[in-house]
Amino acid sequence: MATVDIGGLRLHVQRLGPPGGATPLGTVVLVHGLLTDSLASYYFTVAPAFAAAGLDVVMYDLRGHGRSDRPRSGYTLDDTIDDLEALLARLGVTGPVHLVGNSYGGTVAFGFAARRPQRAATLTLIESEPATASWTAKIAEALRQVVTQLAYDEAAAIAWITAHRGPNTARLARSAARLARETTLGVDIPASRTLTDTQIRSVRCPVLGIYGGDSAQVETVPAQRALLADFRSVVLPGHEHSVLVEAGAAVGGRVLDLIRSTGALPREGASVR
Amino acid sequence: MTAAPHHRTTTDTPPPATERTVLAEVTDMLLTLLDGYGTDDVEIGMETTFNRDLELESIDLVALAGLLQERYGERVNLAEFVAGMEFDEIIDLTVGRLVGYVVARLDAAGAN
Repeated sequence: MATVDIGGLRLHVQRLGPPGGATPLGTVVLVHGLLTDSLASYYFTVAPAFAAAGLDVVMYDLRGHGRSDRPRSGYTLDDTIDDLEALLARLGVTGPVHLVGNSYGGTVAFGFAARRPQRAATLTLIESEPATASWTAKIAEALRQVVTQLAYDEAAAIAWITAHRGPNTARLARSAARLARETTLGVDIPASRTLTDTQIRSVRCPVLGIYGGDSAQVETVPAQRALLADFRSVVLPGHEHSVLVEAGAAVGGRVLDLIRSTGALPREGASVR
Repeated sequence: MTAAPHHRTTTDTPPPATERTVLAEVTDMLLTLLDGYGTDDVEIGMETTFNRDLELESIDLVALAGLLQERYGERVNLAEFVAGMEFDEIIDLTVGRLVGYVVARLDAAGAN
């Protein structure tokens, strides 16, 4: 398994490149979501298409998630952005990158772009938004439910989830409960520093928001449109929050359209050499 | 005297890929992965599902993809195989379907 030590913390990293070892036309960094998510959500959906389009694809498991180390503490948004910065430095990725973040991963990717605007070539937020006060309220409530209902009365909660949502969801919930129990994540994330309007405005690269048509996340579109210089949005009907894994091909196509619009990739149909 | 057909020899051409040998190799890989979970008495056959029967999480399948590539090379690409599937198809994925894919890829490579 590919792990990268970023200074006392080992992160699980998977990297795909263009076919035949061709020189990549850019780097795309994929950041996954919270608790039940991992780099697998990209590995088995959009990543192969991104590599085939000529991109260097960097995927990693956030601290505490997937196959990365699980320290007890250090889960604020800034800690997580520090990890991303350290990882890219360790991988020797120094130029601008195309950032893609799913759910909480989008909030991380936005935070990276706000911290280092010159490092963001494009930014895709899948069912996601920057860290504002309203984001903090939502994530705090979601985490509170995990911590109270799962971590403290796990048996009953798991029985309910198994009966109503099936064994797969129950297994994911169990692993989320374990993460919440073993770390300070549930306290750290709601305590994260939020971004000011000025910091949000500092992101000047093209930003694409992708939303499931049946998800409430689409309600955040006007806020992004009001602050960002170049904000585009796409709604994929018939999907909820997990639009990335449910509609990977559509999501991947929209991200590639965004990257192509910057001239970084040949137009669709043109062969990659 | 000739070598047994499943025995790897020093000749340039490997023995033809058969379902049986690939199933045995994939089973070994899965047992390696499951080792970390302390699972005992796992029986793995063509009908076994990754999700329901083996309770593998998707991140485990990323590790499996690495093992498959180590053993069979670039021609066996689990990410590409799965990326073409519907979400429900991935949930219902069986060992047999993966074995079929591996055999087909090895056959295709052999025909080239």
